[in-house]
Amino acid sequence: MLDKRLVLVSGKGGVGKSAVAAGLSLLAQRRGLRVLAMEMDSPGGLSAHFGTGPLEFEPREIRPGLHAMQMVRSDALLEYLALQLNVKGMTRFGALARAFDALATTAPGIREIITIGKAVWEVREDRWDVVIADAPPTGQIGSFLRAPVTIAELVPTGRVRIQADFMSETLKNPEITELILVSLPEELPVTETEETLSWLAKEEVVSKPRVVANRVLDELTDPGTPPGPVGEAADLHRSLWREQQNWLERLPPDVSLPYLHGLFTPGEVAAHIADELEAHT
Amino acid sequence: MTRTLLVTGAGGVGKTTVAAAIAVRAARAGLRTLVVTVDPAKRLATALGVEELGNEPQPHSDEPNLWAAMLDASASWRAVAVRHAEPEVATRLADNEFFQAASEHFPASQSYAAADQAATFVQAKAWDLVVVDTPPSGGGIDFFTAPAQMADLVGGRLLRWITGGPLPGRRVFFNVAARPVLRIADSILGSDLLERVAEFLLDLRTTYDGVARRGREIEGVLRSSAIFVVTTSDPAPVREAIRFYRELPGLATSPAAVVFNRILPDSWAGAVAPEGTSAALEQNLARWSAETTRQRDTREEFSSRYGAHIATIPWSSVAPTDLDSLAGLLDEADELPWSAIGIS
Repeated sequence: MLDKRLVLVSGKGGVGKSAVAAGLSLLAQRRGLRVLAMEMDSPGGLSAHFGTGPLEFEPREIRPGLHAMQMVRSDALLEYLALQLNVKGMTRFGALARAFDALATTAPGIREIITIGKAVWEVREDRWDVVIADAPPTGQIGSFLRAPVTIAELVPTGRVRIQADFMSETLKNPEITELILVSLPEELPVTETEETLSWLAKEEVVSKPRVVANRVLDELTDPGTPPGPVGEAADLHRSLWREQQNWLERLPPDVSLPYLHGLFTPGEVAAHIADELEAHT
Repeated sequence: MTRTLLVTGAGGVGKTTVAAAIAVRAARAGLRTLVVTVDPAKRLATALGVEELGNEPQPHSDEPNLWAAMLDASASWRAVAVRHAEPEVATRLADNEFFQAASEHFPASQSYAAADQAATFVQAKAWDLVVVDTPPSGGGIDFFTAPAQMADLVGGRLLRWITGGPLPGRRVFFNVAARPVLRIADSILGSDLLERVAEFLLDLRTTYDGVARRGREIEGVLRSSAIFVVTTSDPAPVREAIRFYRELPGLATSPAAVVFNRILPDSWAGAVAPEGTSAALEQNLARWSAETTRQRDTREEFSSRYGAHIATIPWSSVAPTDLDSLAGLLDEADELPWSAIGIS
């Protein structure tokens, strides 16, 4: 899972995609890779798992070899204009920056290309062995991955267009980019993951994603149901397990992560996920 | 009087199911009840008798007091144009590429549509209780801020940013190319994109008075609604639930309850397997017992820190497939403040 340069972790809200992105980042760091973990979605989702407090746009080394940053659209926009489009002398509240910000709110693809463009830009830099993003949820990931194509449709020529084509190639290249879809063995996450998979297969904006099933229960081998909490817990476990099996059969995952009973902090969760992923990769 | 219950919270916590279960209970208690849902699982939609998107409430065939509606966000956006713009402008808006994009991309888009639609149902005065399953965006917070964000979107701030100066009147020739900043922008973009966006924003701005007025009405309905925040005991949704105590003052009443869903029985906390239990069963109990303790600690911390009224719904392994199993989910629910929605 860590042999690519850009790993985007998506999934329906509530399935633990930030935890998986954090766990993967910790694993990469343990292996001695130079890692950039990028909080692309809601602020605080990823940093909670690192226990670092709020992140900034400027990457900060939170452990040896592991840098983390938070996507801030206005900063990313300035950087995009300066580094990618070669427009110099911009300030955060400059007239051009604001015009672009207005554009980013209304025109399709602009907001998305600034965000995804930042990730692609960091991959092109030689600072990192791998960039791991806590990406937007499955409901939005399509419009982010398709943003370069959307832009190409919107503006036929110009510097933005040239950049868009480059991004498109990077995202499509299976040697560079990997998309991970985190799911749960439950109805709504499975349905939404299936819809995302078929949309992606049709649009061909990224190579076939890897599906990670989170919070998977293992089989209880003893069929007994003694009285009291022992039997009650066994009953609940078995019926949850059966329900999960239905969904796992319908959408067989590439990787299963176990249900983590009794864990309290997001930091503990991320560390356990890193341990589990270590066994898989 | 129509009471309103907003069932809110992060995605994936079972919010839609809880909203539906409460609605069935209310209908069976004799209240004419409408449940408005956003994105139900197929089995749940079937149970509620709503198979297709549409903002029209459908009466349930087996439950005389129950209606259900499934929100169609894009239809609600078209309605904004139709309701608040001149007919000619409305047509232009509805066909506009940016309008389509905004209805999908504007962060509070679905939340605004839901809040607007919910307020419409409440104002219709046709029901005793309207139960709204709010969109999960922003952990549910967006639902409350959406009317103001919408007014901000159409209000001309973006337009001023593009024109870089005072706003042109509707009929003034809008010469984007005359502004140096936009010449640079268009040379970067390689098109007249900004000019097209500016034309769109000019059209959109004609709806401002209507949208702002409507926003105040919607906010009025939201402020007089009861709120149940649904969460599981996992850290991420709990963090979203906490936002209702930190960020909402003024926009809404304090939540009537924080409803912890998928709760394990208290008797499991610290339970020890009797002598002679197999290793597999003993280990299984130890895991679920640890989970029970973690759940209980999470609730206690939430209650003591935020003074929240905590309600619980037990973990059910069976997804409800009809109205009876839906209502049955609440058989063992504890501390749900029914009086907040007019049920004794």
